[in-house]
Amino acid sequence: MIKKIIGGLVVGGILFGVTSALDFPQIFQLMFVAYAVLGTLVFSILDAPSVAPFSGLKAVIGLLAFYLVLSVAYITGASLWPQYDPEDEKGKINRILEPKRKLSEQGKTEELLARAKGLEEQAKSIAERLKNLSKDLPDASGGAAPAAGGAPAAGIPTDAKDLEARAFAIWQDQECYNCHKLRGEGGKKRGPELDNIGSYMAAADITAKILDPKSFMAEGFEKEYEKKKMPDKYKEVMDDKDVDILAAWLSGLKNTSVPTPKPIKKK
Amino acid sequence: MKTWHRSLLMLFGLLAVGASAAYAQVPNAPVGEFPYTGNRTAVWIVAQLHILFAGFILGAPIFVVISEWLGYRKQDPRYDRLAKEVTKVTVILYSMTALTGGLFIFVLLATYPQFTTWLINHFFLIFALIYPLLFIAETIVLYTYFYTWDAWKGPKKARHIWLGVLLNLIGTITLFVIDGPTSFMNTPAKAEGASIVEFIQAATLWDKVNNYSWMPLNLHRLVGNVTFGGFIAGLIAAYMYMGSKTEDERSYYDWMGFVGNLIGVGALLGLPFMGYVLAYELCDYDASICPYMMADQLSMFFEMQGAMIGLIFLASNYYIWLSMKRIEGVERVRMTVLTPLVMVVLPIVMTITWDKFPVPDPASLGVLVPLVLLPVILGRFLPWTVSSRTVIKVGFLMVVVGNAIWMTPHGFVPTGAKLVPELELPSAYTMLALMPAKNSAAFTLVFVTIVNYIIYNRAIKQGTIVWGKIDFVSQFVLIFLAFSAIWTMGLMGAVRSLVRKYFHTYNLVPDFSAESFTPTLAYSAWWITGITLAFYAVVSFAIIITLRAPDSKAHAPEGHPAPAGAK
Repeated sequence: MIKKIIGGLVVGGILFGVTSALDFPQIFQLMFVAYAVLGTLVFSILDAPSVAPFSGLKAVIGLLAFYLVLSVAYITGASLWPQYDPEDEKGKINRILEPKRKLSEQGKTEELLARAKGLEEQAKSIAERLKNLSKDLPDASGGAAPAAGGAPAAGIPTDAKDLEARAFAIWQDQECYNCHKLRGEGGKKRGPELDNIGSYMAAADITAKILDPKSFMAEGFEKEYEKKKMPDKYKEVMDDKDVDILAAWLSGLKNTSVPTPKPIKKK
Repeated sequence: MKTWHRSLLMLFGLLAVGASAAYAQVPNAPVGEFPYTGNRTAVWIVAQLHILFAGFILGAPIFVVISEWLGYRKQDPRYDRLAKEVTKVTVILYSMTALTGGLFIFVLLATYPQFTTWLINHFFLIFALIYPLLFIAETIVLYTYFYTWDAWKGPKKARHIWLGVLLNLIGTITLFVIDGPTSFMNTPAKAEGASIVEFIQAATLWDKVNNYSWMPLNLHRLVGNVTFGGFIAGLIAAYMYMGSKTEDERSYYDWMGFVGNLIGVGALLGLPFMGYVLAYELCDYDASICPYMMADQLSMFFEMQGAMIGLIFLASNYYIWLSMKRIEGVERVRMTVLTPLVMVVLPIVMTITWDKFPVPDPASLGVLVPLVLLPVILGRFLPWTVSSRTVIKVGFLMVVVGNAIWMTPHGFVPTGAKLVPELELPSAYTMLALMPAKNSAAFTLVFVTIVNYIIYNRAIKQGTIVWGKIDFVSQFVLIFLAFSAIWTMGLMGAVRSLVRKYFHTYNLVPDFSAESFTPTLAYSAWWITGITLAFYAVVSFAIIITLRAPDSKAHAPEGHPAPAGAK
């Protein structure tokens, strides 16, 4: 047993030293040491003495204790990994689904209820005003609050900062960063780097590419194009206005120092 | 449990299916709200419990009928006894499948009425006719199979085995049928260039069933169910071994545990590849699913899966190690030195190979096949051999190494958006986190396990197994395997559902509820553990009441337990 622990410490030390020399971040160094601990544990168990059989109450208690240990170990193990914060996602989901929710039956019902409530309030206020008018005509004044109207129809923001902010939020919400690198961030070579896309494509072309990924192919991404790596879903999951905003913003990106591949029109 | 009790439960399940089809026609049904858990977790709990029971009742009969056939062919009553005992537990759990299935539909209708209505309407023929009919047919055949066991002996045995085959046929069709709507929710049928909404409106039932992930899910579940059934058979054996009063009983249940583990591990070997095919199809359907699973919100779920698979492989190989210890003459077994050498170089060579020829490029087989066959072909001509003990120990080392490669993440962050250099693999070593390395790790685990079984097979040919004399800790290994397999099923079941993101049906029916976000791994682990314990409690109860009941003891001699020392 002692020999195995010493062996484990030596292996762990070597792994720690080698990974330090190779500039692995500390967390990875610790991970390799943890594997050495696992190995030590495995080899210690292999040569552990036999366990004598037991039954009856002792077996029942043994089993319950075993289940407890397993449960605690699995919950703790899962909790030790970095945890995704659902709050990061909630706002995004809401932004993506809101237009759809409004279109849905549920949305329609809620809208009808809201309208009915607004009308009811308006009726009350008119009745109140009429009452006041009949009481004191000279002092009558329009005190009723107008019913809340819908948000003004928003087009593509004309201000560059506004456009950037809105488009970047859409970029994040749709998780474009998972495939495309932009400003040195994101991307796993699944899709082209887009910092200079504006030099090649107008907003209408980018819109066409988002809505129909087969319409253009980036040079050097033939395999990805053939394998349909770009999802053919944005016409379903994105609001038309959001597509236009994103396309308008991307068409303004003209950083010529970044080797964005040339798009080839396919359709 | 008496027959009429079981029949009542079954009737309840069927009524639930019928009622759901009728309820689905009610417009604007009110939405219920589960306290404490919320609606999504409530559905999760009931659905997962149902899938666990269903997985067992569909998986167990596959090896039950094989075991019965082996008993008939070899004239070894132990196989027949194993088959019958597992069937007894299956019959009880069949009722639980119906009960939880009915409950699942009720909960789903109460909590997500609009979506459930939509889904039932799209698969009306399946939910209202095909599935209930298959369920009735399976019920009739299962009960006939169970109750004719003693009557159809001797010359009628072949008839009974054919009935078992029929049971499996119906069970497999049932699985494939219900996988239609399930897989449809992940990858609804679509056509290139067409709007998915419009396509679905015009699609036939077959178009909807035969979607991208349907067949991969069928195969994954089929193999997974056999694995699961095998490990549960091991669990039954472990419980019974612990409660055995005689040497004969201990011999028999030691043997049963070994067979259960063999079935579980045998099917487990194919499971990583079935899982890979399913993930591949999901990514092929929509490439954005891949980063969501592997690099973003669910990446740590896959780290946990790596840890669980590693533990399962370690435990199953440890069980072989313990089994070898009870073979007299095992020390005489030797193997060519090439075997441990191949084990050691396998992860490195295959990482490089799969990097150059990514899966499914068949060119990689040009390296893989000669490499794994090297010990068999060249080993005959080389004089250097090592003891089986050394080979197994090198195997354990490589299971730890394989597990380490499988679990090494690209970054210690739950999402790629939070990746910083202090938590990221150095760029020169990112290959450790890529698929070629993960595939080579999975293959190493499989290869080591196969080698260990080859060694075991040689050991029993050269030595004598002393059944009933296995190290007692092996029973806890069997229990560990069953527990861990169920836990992993729960984890991956959650992943399969979560890849739909904020949709009930991916890209088609959005989930507007406040619970449509990705839960944390820790939160999921609590519920997965709770579900596993609940399932375990029911299974343990079923084992105790069916196999430990006084009348069962009276029937004990029917299997003629093997005497100690018999092979």
